[in-house]
Amino acid sequence: MAAAARPVSPAASLTSPGGTLVHVRVTVNGQPVVAEVEPRTLLVHFLREVLGLTGTHIGCDTTNCGACTVHLDGKPVKSCTVLAVQTDGRDVRTVEGLEVGGKLSPIQEAFVECHGLQCGFCTPGMMMTATALLARNPNPTEDEVRDAIRGNLCRCTGYVNIVKAIQLAGQKMQTTAAGAGGKP
Amino acid sequence: MSVGAPHVQGGIGQSIRRKEDARFIRGKGNYIDDVKMPGMLYLDITRSPYAHAKITAIRTERALKVPGVLAVITGKDLEAAGLAWMPTLMSDKQMVLPTDTVMYQAQEVAAVVADSRYAAADGAAAVEVDYEPLPVVTNPFKALEPGAPVIRTDRKEQSNHIWHWETGDKAGTDQLLTSSPVRVAQDLYIPRIHVSSMETCGCVAHLDSISGRFTIYMTTQAPHAIRTVLALVAGLPEQNIRVISPDIGGGFGGKVPVYPGYVLAAVAAIKTGHPVKWIEDRSENLQADSFARDYHIHAEVGATSDGKVTALKVKTLADHGYTDAAANPSKFPAGLFHIITGSYPFSKAFVEVDAAYTNKPPGGIAYRCSFRVTEAVYTIERMMDILAHRLKIDPA
Repeated sequence: MAAAARPVSPAASLTSPGGTLVHVRVTVNGQPVVAEVEPRTLLVHFLREVLGLTGTHIGCDTTNCGACTVHLDGKPVKSCTVLAVQTDGRDVRTVEGLEVGGKLSPIQEAFVECHGLQCGFCTPGMMMTATALLARNPNPTEDEVRDAIRGNLCRCTGYVNIVKAIQLAGQKMQTTAAGAGGKP
Repeated sequence: MSVGAPHVQGGIGQSIRRKEDARFIRGKGNYIDDVKMPGMLYLDITRSPYAHAKITAIRTERALKVPGVLAVITGKDLEAAGLAWMPTLMSDKQMVLPTDTVMYQAQEVAAVVADSRYAAADGAAAVEVDYEPLPVVTNPFKALEPGAPVIRTDRKEQSNHIWHWETGDKAGTDQLLTSSPVRVAQDLYIPRIHVSSMETCGCVAHLDSISGRFTIYMTTQAPHAIRTVLALVAGLPEQNIRVISPDIGGGFGGKVPVYPGYVLAAVAAIKTGHPVKWIEDRSENLQADSFARDYHIHAEVGATSDGKVTALKVKTLADHGYTDAAANPSKFPAGLFHIITGSYPFSKAFVEVDAAYTNKPPGGIAYRCSFRVTEAVYTIERMMDILAHRLKIDPA
């Protein structure tokens, strides 16, 4: 279904009265949206406050922790260090876009099955980084997983189960692909 | 697979699925910054660049001219309402905002309330403060030397010494140590650590002016303690205060204390009649929130030449920062540090702890429920290793 671009109002929480606004057209989780934003608006604030997608978390504001990781044109980026205007004409995917048609993605299932989360705050960013890894390498070794998530911190320090979850998700994707005789 | 649905499993040896995972993996958790209320305002904080300084002037005019800024709160405003100081979780007090002196770097100096998150940050940057720097004391040993600058001039005791605590048999321990064939001694420093939970601290405060009921959503691990402190500080009856802890992005003890930001958001909510959100950023969290540990320990162990322990003597200096805001499960000011004799059959032991003020944020939080157990266990096990190495026997 082709969706019409959903116009969203500038978030009162993110604009100063009388400030300059810039037009942005971006596709978020498959849905085109148009909005007017202050040039300095961070992508993470745009997602959370304008679009109400609060699954993307702010942990450090400095690109260190990875809690705010989303996909920009399929590549993981830390949305606390990307301006909303930089996403104009591009494609953004957040944790809310992982579940499609009421079906959880393999990475979501695997995080639950492997107890790959505790407080849950790093989880969305961790799953977005993992999803990007598995898209290019569906069968990563433990070292490859640890290398891929080195920019995502988990302060509950549940890394062992996170690594297990990511590897399990890779296996699930391969099984699904084999079963369906094609790409998942 | 149906996540969150009841599973036909259970009992000893069975893994149980967590109820909260269903929302967390979908990005549908409800952490503090996800709470949004109609008409909500935002609060940001101006902080001190100095670790110790007199405040000679605070000018709020420029901040008030920032579009979207509604109010600036200073220590003088709070003092007029009797809110400049609040109790800590120990028998000490801490500043909400200073009226004349800052005592650690990044201490809260003024709060700006605005109708947007970005305007509040602009306003906080536009508050102008004049400081007169004072001598800084960051070393607790120097803090206790004669002539050291007194940090807490508000106290009757014009000294940086907070308290002394001791337990055991001092004379007996000294005697047994002297007569023990083997003695080892070691200085150990367990440095300050910050718990650094993934989610920083914050709250959304709201006063219903009709019912008089005050609601605060916050990332607290101790909602009941917070309710009591809020009642004491704000003068509201405790039954009119509701503290709601939604999903918490990690606590580790760092979300037990009452931070000035919570009280400032509460004051702003009461003053404006609007819900007020305060969320600290990571650099505020790392600089100003409470720390754990910071124990300078000197330990001595006596033993026989075949490795049987006889006596333990421990002298500790605790660096509490500018106020004693430790989280303790008992009346003992050094928490459960007295477990330091561990599982070892000492005939005599003596342990003493002195606490000092320094120009640092409050220390003494119970990182991962340590309550000084970590400090005690590290010390005794380290001493056992050192004794074993001296006697050339296996530490295990």
